Amino acid sequence: MPRRKPHQHRPQRRKEVRPGPGGGQGDAFRCVGCRLEVPLAAPGTAHRNHCPTCLTSLHVDRRVPGDRRSTCRGRMTALGVEVRGDGEWVIIHHCLACGELSANRIAGDDNALALLRVALRPLSGPRLPLLQRAAL
Amino acid sequence: MTDTGSRSVLRTETFACVRCGLTVTALAPDGRRRNHCPSCLHSRHILDHVEGGPSECRSRMTPISIAVPRNGDWMLIHRCVRCGELTSSPLSGDDNQLLLMRLAVRPLAQPPFPLEGFGDL
Ligand SMILES: [Zn+2]
Ligand SMILES: [Zn+2]
Repeated sequence: MPRRKPHQHRPQRRKEVRPGPGGGQGDAFRCVGCRLEVPLAAPGTAHRNHCPTCLTSLHVDRRVPGDRRSTCRGRMTALGVEVRGDGEWVIIHHCLACGELSANRIAGDDNALALLRVALRPLSGPRLPLLQRAAL
Repeated sequence: MTDTGSRSVLRTETFACVRCGLTVTALAPDGRRRNHCPSCLHSRHILDHVEGGPSECRSRMTPISIAVPRNGDWMLIHRCVRCGELTSSPLSGDDNQLLLMRLAVRPLAQPPFPLEGFGDL
């Protein structure tokens, strides 16, 4: 899926190559959500931190993205989408084991349909507070 | 706000919003203790969600996203402008509905890919 604004990403710090989030070989990791083997190199980001197919991540960072200081290693699912000032989408991940939240930039090859489903979740289903209260 | 100010918050059960200055009752209409201003939706970083317990940060937290846990109600996601920590909190009945809706539709207003290819979802 072509990106509308492919070159608006701000430059990211270079990170050294290290074992993948799933404890993989260093250049790939196995997704804890869909078991897909995912290459660490991702278009548009210096380091991939979620599966491009199901968007699942692993809780390895503690405070700062990339610090890898968490011992939780729980499964993190996409909870919502944040739009930054420059229009960039950021996935809000939620750890199913400990409840921690993290924000992760999308990669150029993330599944557009999966991203859209997360973004649409507040607007679909019976949970729309505004419309409920307005009794439309 | 000063420490004296935050102590009186506990006594009188109101707080002044760090962003818009509105005096807000600490208890929402549904009887729950609220953590963000119902008018501008901003909050303050007073709990440490990584370590647990109170946070030394006490900076302003900006509403950044609406999130929906599986089979759950809308949650409001905040990010601390100083330290970047993220929190989620439930909504109150008197929260500003138009600001909430603006947050909810923002991703669709600024998609990173063309939406034309998606008919039904
Ligand atoms: Zn965790
Ligand atoms: Zn903070």
